[in-house]
Amino acid sequence: MNSKSFCSPRRQRQAIKTGHRCAWTAVLLALWVVGVPRAARAGEAPQWMRALVSVPLPAHDEKTDAVLLYSEDILSVQGNGKIKRTERRVYKILRPDGRKYGKVFANFDSETKINSIHGWCIPAQGKDYEVKDKDALETALFGVEDGELMTDLKTRVLTIPAADPGNLIGYEIEQQVRPYVMQDVWTFQREGTPVREAHYTLQLPEGWEYKAVWLNFSKVEPSAAGSNQWQWVVKDVEGIRPEYDMPPREGVAGQMVVSLIPQGGSQNKGFENWTDMGRWEDGLGQGRREASAEIKQKVVELTAGRAGQLEKMRALAQFVQRDIRYVAIQLGIGGWQPHPAPEIFTHKYGDCKDKATILSTMLKEIGVTSYYVSVNTERGTVTPATPATRWFNHEILAIRLPDGMEDASLVAVLAHPKLGRLLIFDPTDDMTSLGQLRGALQANYALLVTPEGGELLELPKLPAQLNGVQRTAKLSLNPTGTLSGDVREVRVGDRAAAQRSALRSVTKDADRIKSVESMLANSLSTYSLTKASVTNLNQMDQPFIFNYSLVAQNYAKTAGNLLLVRPRVIGNKASGLLETKEPRKYPVEFEGPSRDTDTFEITLPQGYEVDDLPPPIHAEYSFASYESKTETSGNVLRYTRTFEVKETSVPLSKVEDLKKLYRIIASDERNTAVLKPAVH
Amino acid sequence: MSFCRLSLMVGLFLLGATVYRVGSSSADEWMPISPEELKMTSEAAAPGAPAIILYRQVDRDDSNAHVPHEYNYVRVKIFTEEGRKNADVEIPFVKGDYSIVNIRARTVRQDGSSMVYDGKVYEKEIVKARGFKYLAKTFTLSDVQPGSIIEYHYMIDFAENKVFDSNWMLSSDLFTKSAKFTLKPYGQFPLQWSWPNGLPEGTKPPADETRAAGHNIRMEAQNIPAFLVEDDMPPEAAMKFRVDFNYSEGSLETDPDKFWRKQGKKWNEYVESFLNKKKAMEQAVGETVAAGDSPEGKLQKIYARAQKIRNISFEVEKTEQEQKRAQEKGAGNVEDVWKRGYGYGDDITLLFLGMARAAGLEASAARISTRDDHFFSKSLMKARDLRTYVVLVKLNGKDLYFDPGTAFAPYGLLPWSETLSPGLKLDRDGGTWITTSLPQSGDSQVERKADLKLTQEGSLEGKLKVTYSGLEAMYRRLDERNEDEAQRKKSLEDDVRYMIPASIEVELANKPDWSSSDPLLVAEFDLKVPGWASGAGRRALMAVGIFGAEEKHMCEHTTRVHPMYFHYSSEKVDNLTIELPLGWQVTSVPKPENSDAKVMLYTMKVENNNGTLHVERRMKSDLITLEQKFYPALRKFYEVVRTSDEQQIVLQPASTAASN
Repeated sequence: MNSKSFCSPRRQRQAIKTGHRCAWTAVLLALWVVGVPRAARAGEAPQWMRALVSVPLPAHDEKTDAVLLYSEDILSVQGNGKIKRTERRVYKILRPDGRKYGKVFANFDSETKINSIHGWCIPAQGKDYEVKDKDALETALFGVEDGELMTDLKTRVLTIPAADPGNLIGYEIEQQVRPYVMQDVWTFQREGTPVREAHYTLQLPEGWEYKAVWLNFSKVEPSAAGSNQWQWVVKDVEGIRPEYDMPPREGVAGQMVVSLIPQGGSQNKGFENWTDMGRWEDGLGQGRREASAEIKQKVVELTAGRAGQLEKMRALAQFVQRDIRYVAIQLGIGGWQPHPAPEIFTHKYGDCKDKATILSTMLKEIGVTSYYVSVNTERGTVTPATPATRWFNHEILAIRLPDGMEDASLVAVLAHPKLGRLLIFDPTDDMTSLGQLRGALQANYALLVTPEGGELLELPKLPAQLNGVQRTAKLSLNPTGTLSGDVREVRVGDRAAAQRSALRSVTKDADRIKSVESMLANSLSTYSLTKASVTNLNQMDQPFIFNYSLVAQNYAKTAGNLLLVRPRVIGNKASGLLETKEPRKYPVEFEGPSRDTDTFEITLPQGYEVDDLPPPIHAEYSFASYESKTETSGNVLRYTRTFEVKETSVPLSKVEDLKKLYRIIASDERNTAVLKPAVH
Repeated sequence: MSFCRLSLMVGLFLLGATVYRVGSSSADEWMPISPEELKMTSEAAAPGAPAIILYRQVDRDDSNAHVPHEYNYVRVKIFTEEGRKNADVEIPFVKGDYSIVNIRARTVRQDGSSMVYDGKVYEKEIVKARGFKYLAKTFTLSDVQPGSIIEYHYMIDFAENKVFDSNWMLSSDLFTKSAKFTLKPYGQFPLQWSWPNGLPEGTKPPADETRAAGHNIRMEAQNIPAFLVEDDMPPEAAMKFRVDFNYSEGSLETDPDKFWRKQGKKWNEYVESFLNKKKAMEQAVGETVAAGDSPEGKLQKIYARAQKIRNISFEVEKTEQEQKRAQEKGAGNVEDVWKRGYGYGDDITLLFLGMARAAGLEASAARISTRDDHFFSKSLMKARDLRTYVVLVKLNGKDLYFDPGTAFAPYGLLPWSETLSPGLKLDRDGGTWITTSLPQSGDSQVERKADLKLTQEGSLEGKLKVTYSGLEAMYRRLDERNEDEAQRKKSLEDDVRYMIPASIEVELANKPDWSSSDPLLVAEFDLKVPGWASGAGRRALMAVGIFGAEEKHMCEHTTRVHPMYFHYSSEKVDNLTIELPLGWQVTSVPKPENSDAKVMLYTMKVENNNGTLHVERRMKSDLITLEQKFYPALRKFYEVVRTSDEQQIVLQPASTAASN
C-alpha cells in the first residue's frame, strides 16, 4: 500500500501542555528535591553517572548490544507557562553494535526548545570524555518523496566519543516545553536494551493534580518526594526484542501516561478521557469546514446528473481522493489543525486532515454530515486499555449515512447508538473506494470526534472475501514438459490496491509487466509472457484484473519415463516468519482479513496418465484456514486451494499453530503429481 | 581574488543540480507554451512516463567574479497522478556559498489558464553544524492535475570571489524533450570541459563561442532518456550523461601525455621521499625474512608482516576528541609506519614496497584508478581519478599486484574495485601506463561440502562445511571486522540461509579465523532443512539444487536497459553426500547437466551409490561486464541453471518399496 496516507510522525509524539504560572520558589524547590547534579570537573562525567561504574548489569543475553543502567526523566511544571524536562540516560555498551547508543538524538519543534545537551563517556581505561551543545549538529528531514513538504520537526544529534564495548556512555538533555496538551508518556521499556533502573519524577505547582495510567506493565505506586512532587521507580525491566509483524511499540512497551490537571481546571489540561480529547480536536476543526463559493460551485458541478445521494457522495469522494494532492506542510499547530477548506480547495493539496476537512465540507453541501476520526495506521497502537492520548497519526472520516441508504458496496459501516450508521472512509487512500476500508485500519481503535466530544470505537472488520486474489489458469502440458496457457487474476481490496500502486510508480510502459515477472520468478524457473493485459487499473470500485499468457519450458521434470508436475503452478502462501531459533514473544499481526483462491487446470500430454497425486490438505484454525485438493478429470489435472485469513492478529498462545499452518502450506506448495506413460 | 574549490561545496551543488531539473529563459517572463504542449497526453519517445521535462535551461555566468550566478528554468508536463509529485520542489543550497533567489513558479492548466504561485517558499534547514548550514528552498505548486504544465525559474547567486567547478547534468529521472545550457566562464583561470559518458544521441558537443566579451560555451540537447536504475548495473556516475567543467589553478595542459607525465613525476617524488629510509627498511626486512628464503617466500613474509601493521583506515571512525587523545600522527615516511606500528592504508602499501625493495625484489609503486564509482579516462586529465597506490612486483617474469593497505586482502589479490583498473606505474620520468590484473573465478570460491542424512519425514540433517577463498573470504572478513563473535556467527548463518531456497535451521559449529588474511575462511555448520523432500503419493521427490537460492532471481525480467556489471569473478563448488533412510530406494536421478557459456559455467551431476546420493554442482562466473544486447543469452543461461536445480531425485520410501 502506498504510504502516502500517513501523516507526519509528529502526531506520534507526545505533548505537554503549558499550564498555570507558578512561583519561582516551586521551581527552585523542585530542583532541590530532585537534586541538582553535583558539579563535575570540566570534562569529567557527572557523579550520577560515575556512581554506575561498578553496578551489576540487568539480566541480558549475548545478543544484547547495550544495557540501560540508569534512566531518569524529570518533569518540572513551572508557573510561567513552561515546563522543564530533564532526561538522563546511562548505557553500558556490551557489543560493537551498541555503538549506536553513542549517538544521541533530541527532537524539537515549535513546542520544544533544547536548553542544553551534554554527553559523557567513561571508558574502561583512561580519562572521561565530554561533549556539549557546540559539538551537536541539527538536521531536518530531507526530501519530499512522500509529500512531507515542510515540517518544523528537527533533531539535534550529539555524538559521544568512544562508545565502545565495555565503556559507559551517558547524556543529559534539558528541554523547555510549551505543549499544546498537558500530557506526558514515560516509556521505560526499551527496544533491545534491558533497563536496570528507571526513574520518573513529576513536580507540579501547588493545587495541580495528575492522572497516571500504566500500560503493559504492573502499576507502580509513586513515592512522595516533596511538596507536590512524586517519583516512580522501576527496576530490572527486560528489553523488547523486535520481531517481524509484531504489534507496534505502544502496544507492548511498559509505559505510564500522565495527564496533568491544573488547579480549577483549565482548557489546556491533559486529557482525562477520550471525550476531552475529542473536544480538543473538535475545537481545532472549528470554522475550518465552511464552504466558499468556489467549493459550493464545484459540489454542484460534481453532483450534477448524479442520481441519488450515494452517487453524489461517490462523486465527491473521488474528487478528493484523486484531485486533492497529498502534501503535508505542518508547522506549529498545523501538525494538528487542518487548513480551512477554501484554502485547501484553492491549492488542491493538503495532508490527511485537510483531505478529511475538504470532503466533510463538500458532503455538508449535499446534506450529509460527517465527523473526523483519528486513527493510527498501525493497528494495536491504541487499544481499549489506552488512556486518552495523542497516539494517532492519521485522520479519516465517519460519514453519517442518510436514513434508508442501503447498498451492498457500503461495507465499512458501524452502527452507532446515537448517530446511526457511520460509514468509515479514508479520503487520503486513493486506492480504496467509498464503502470499503483498507486492512490496516480495520478492527483498529479510533477516536470519533463530534461536537459533544470524543469516543473511542473499534472500526469495522470487513469480510475476508473483500480482500484477495482469485487466480484461475487453464494450461496445457506437452510431453517435453513445457507448460503453456492463460492465467487470470482478479484482485480486490488491498491486494488490488497493492498492484495498482506498483503499476502507478512504473515510469515506462515496458516495465508494467515486471511485477508479474517477479511474481512468476518465485514459482517458475523459466517463463516467458506472450500476452498480458490489465483491466480496471484506475477504476478503484471495480476489481483489478490481470490476464496473461505464459510459456514455461521444462516445467514438468522428467525422471526415467515419468513426468513430475507440481500442481501448484504459481503463488506462494507459505512464510518462514516463525522459523526462528528463539521462541516468539509477541503476537503476529496480519494486515487484515483476506481470502485467496487458486484454480489451476492442466491438460496432460497425450500418452500420459496420472500415477500418483498429492494428498488433499485441510487445515482449520480460528485465525486462518487452508485447504487444497489435486484431482483428475479425464486428462485434466485440477488443483484448487483456498487460503483464508480470518483475524487481524494471532495471539501468542496460537503462534505455534500458525507455524504449523505455514509448514503445511510449504509442504503442499512443493507437492508433486507423477505422470507415467499410459497403458493401452 | 581567491579561488575556491572546496570539494564538499562542489558535491552539494552538484547534488542540487541533479535533483532539480533546471530550464530556460532570461528574465522572469514565462516562455510561450504551444497548443501542442497544452494538449499532450503522452510522449511517444517516453511511453508510459508519468511526466516529462518539456524544456530546461541553465545559464551560468562565472565571468564576473563579483556576481557569479546561474539562472535555471524548468518546464514539466504532467501526464499521470503519479507525475504530480514533480510539483513538490526542493532546491538545496549551502548558506554562505550561494543563495537561491527570485523563485517564480506557476501551474498552467490544460485549457491554457495559469495560476502563478503566490504561496510561501519555505527554507528548510537540512543540516546545521559548526558554521555550516545546508538548507533547502521548498515549495509546492497549486492545482496540479494530469495534463497540467508546471514551470518555475530561479537564480543561484554564488558568493562573491568564489568560483566553483560545475557540471550540466543532462540525465534526469524524467525524460527531457529539450534543453539548453550556457556557461560564461571566469576568464582568469583556464577551464576544461568534458563529457565522460558521452552525450545523448544526436546531441552536438558543447560549442565555445568566443565573443568580444569572452567565452560563451553552449549546448542544446533533445530527447534525453529518463535515467533508470537497474540491478547489477555499472556505477551511476559512469552512466549518466553530463558535461563537467573544471577550472585549473595553473596553466592548462591540453596534452594528456604531458599532463600525466607531470602528475606521475609528482607522485613518484612523493613515493620516493616516503620510502627514503633504506637502512630502516633493511633492518625491518632482516627481522622479517630468513636469508635462505626464496624471493617468493620473502615476498609472502613481507606481505604478511605489512598487514600486521595496525591499519587505521579500517578501524571504527574516531571522533575528534578520540583522535586528539590518541595522538596518532600521519606518517612522514616508511620508518614512521614501521616504528609506530600503525598507519593508513596507503602508508602500509608503501611500507610493503619499501621492504620489498630492501629485500632485493623488483618492485614499483603504481597509482591506479578504481572502478567502484566511475570508469577512468586518461583523456579527461583528472588527477584525483588515480586515487590509490598498489605495488607492482616482478617475480619470476610475472607482474604481480599487491595492496596490503586493504585489510584482509589475501596475498596476490587486489580488492575488486582495484582490479582491471588503469593506472600509472611510477618512475622518475612520470611512469608508464598499466592495467591491473583480473583474478579468475577459481581464485574466489565458495566451496560447500555437506554430509547429510534424509530423515523419514523428508528433512535433510547433517554437517555443512563452507570454505570461502580469495575475495569471497576477504569481503566477509572486511564486513565483519569491527563486529563481535555473536554477530559474525549470525552473519555466516544468514549467509547459509540466503543460499538455500527453504526455511532452515543452521548453527555455526566452529570458530572461523576472522583475524588473518589467509586465503581461506572456513565455517562449519549443523544444518537441518525441514521437509526438503516433497510428497508425491507413494513416492518422495527431492530437488537437487539445495544451494540454488542465489540464482533463483537472477535475470528474472525479460527486458534490460543498461549493461550488466559484476564486481569480480567467482565460483561456487558444491559437493553433497545424502544418506537415505534404511530401506529407501532411489528410483531415478536427473541426467547430468553441463552448460558452458565460456564466461559462465554450470554443471550438475547426481550419482546413486547404493542408497547414498552424491550431488556435485559447480557454478562459475568470469563475467564482469555484459552489453545489454547479450542479456537474453545470460537470462537463458540462468534459466538452464534454475531448471537443472529443480530437477528431482525420485525416491521410494521403505514402506512403499517393500510393498512393490
